[in-house]
Amino acid sequence: MKTLELGYIHIKDIIIGSESKVENGVLYVDEAALKALVLEDENLKDVSFDVAKPGESVRITPVKDVIEPRAKVEGPGGIFPGMVNKVEAVGEGKTVVLKDMAVVTAGKIVGFQEGVIDMSGPGAEYTPFSKTLNLVMVCTPADHLLAQDPDATLPIENEKKPEYEQAVRMAGLKVAAYLGDLGKNVTPDETETFSTPNLKEGIEMYPDLPRVVYVAMLQTQGLLHDTYVYGVDAKRTLSTMLWPTEIMDGAIVSGNCVSACDKNPTYIHENNPVVHELFKQHGKTLNFVGVIITNENVYLADKQRSSDWAAKLCELLGVDGAIVTQEGFGNPDTDLIMNTKKIELKGVKTTIVTDEYAGQDGKSQSLADADPLADAVVTGGNANEVIILPKMDKVIGMLDYVDVIAGGHAGSLRPDGTIEAEIQVITSATNEMGFGKLSAR
Amino acid sequence: MTNNPRVRDVYGSKYCVLYQDCSFNELLFAVRDKVDKGHRLLTHPLSGSVKPNETPYKSIMISVDRGPIDFESSSLISSAITAATDKKFEKYVERQKTFNKRILEDFQLVDYCVITSAIESARTGL
Repeated sequence: MKTLELGYIHIKDIIIGSESKVENGVLYVDEAALKALVLEDENLKDVSFDVAKPGESVRITPVKDVIEPRAKVEGPGGIFPGMVNKVEAVGEGKTVVLKDMAVVTAGKIVGFQEGVIDMSGPGAEYTPFSKTLNLVMVCTPADHLLAQDPDATLPIENEKKPEYEQAVRMAGLKVAAYLGDLGKNVTPDETETFSTPNLKEGIEMYPDLPRVVYVAMLQTQGLLHDTYVYGVDAKRTLSTMLWPTEIMDGAIVSGNCVSACDKNPTYIHENNPVVHELFKQHGKTLNFVGVIITNENVYLADKQRSSDWAAKLCELLGVDGAIVTQEGFGNPDTDLIMNTKKIELKGVKTTIVTDEYAGQDGKSQSLADADPLADAVVTGGNANEVIILPKMDKVIGMLDYVDVIAGGHAGSLRPDGTIEAEIQVITSATNEMGFGKLSAR
Repeated sequence: MTNNPRVRDVYGSKYCVLYQDCSFNELLFAVRDKVDKGHRLLTHPLSGSVKPNETPYKSIMISVDRGPIDFESSSLISSAITAATDKKFEKYVERQKTFNKRILEDFQLVDYCVITSAIESARTGL
């Protein structure tokens, strides 16, 4: 039996000052200490911190990642293993979580496809991160990453962009781990325990319940399309298995800036809604066996190998059902259908969680691939739906790319400060793990 | 096969690179013509999440050798063309005209990174 207790410390306010602590539900942040931590990375020249609160007239853009601060209190390993802590296996013992808040990294890495978080107005309904207190960090690249040619159109040398992406990614994780540590000596407001039996125990405990596995597809295609598992770039991995609680301890982190609406930021991995819902049903209507992770590579032989392995693992486990989630649109739809088809052909009932690009009128084919065996789908919504985002009093980050982010168009940013765009500009608006607040009846 | 000048410049001397100065969709049609002649697709013709026509650039790896028409390749490129030519992506073509050099170079970079990951796979496996 693998058991993890999550201790939730509800954060009611964030105050930036000269001391770091959590007291009476307030997170105090020592700005100088955090800055020093971030600037340990020689690829970053500066970082600024700001707080965005639910209901405020604030727009954060372009968003890179969203992370929930956590720390291990008991049990082996540290949070975000292989990234900010040693690679030791996690997923058991006790972990504290700073709830109701998030660390948001913002900054321009490339000039398109990065997200918007509105803290109020119609856009706020679409992003789960309008409901969290956000500590936003905007990272400035170091001079040696900048283009040397004074006439260059790019602020950062093309060759250096992966280094900048990595620096921003790591800065967010380090800050989240630092803040998580502040909760170590605080008594949580509430706790929740998650236990996963091993295969033998599970069959003995729940002989009559259907055995269900979760197949999590990870976006793995190159710069701004990557995911890391225990510090390993997942595109160089074979499909494998995790205890569900390893994910809660930050075993999977995002290096992803694909279209904002169907990003799986690190926060959503940590709070994976499929994992949480399966735990809720575990021992009642089903037996949650574990998590298979599989990648979404570009090379077709990789796709074949990875989907073969995901199906083979389902067969080996002898499960009755599988839930498959993906990340991205287009090319990953092929992985989604390959996985689903192959798992179904092993005699396992499969349900997909995805989103749709069905056109502004909703009449186009929703996915770029299809198969009759993929006959059970839960959708996170239509990313092409048009929305008008009103002007906000304050912008954290920069608006100069709004015309070219995915779902925007020429003239998206109107002179009066409003934005007309498809909801795919909004971070996690149609999240493909189902981490949304909206539903339709 | 690519319409990305960056991929041409970096890989042109190392691998067999067929560069065409054309649109995203025209490149898909050119790849389909190759598949019709018996070349196999080695990478997926659609991008990871950058939408068709959102990016002007695409690089697709196909086999140098030719054989009988490969059904899977044919099916995949046809589906990709169906998806990419859907009217829901037409608006992106207009938007491409507004891109400045910086944005175009960013799209080139991302496509380059995506095909580089495929080249790394191709070098270590079949």
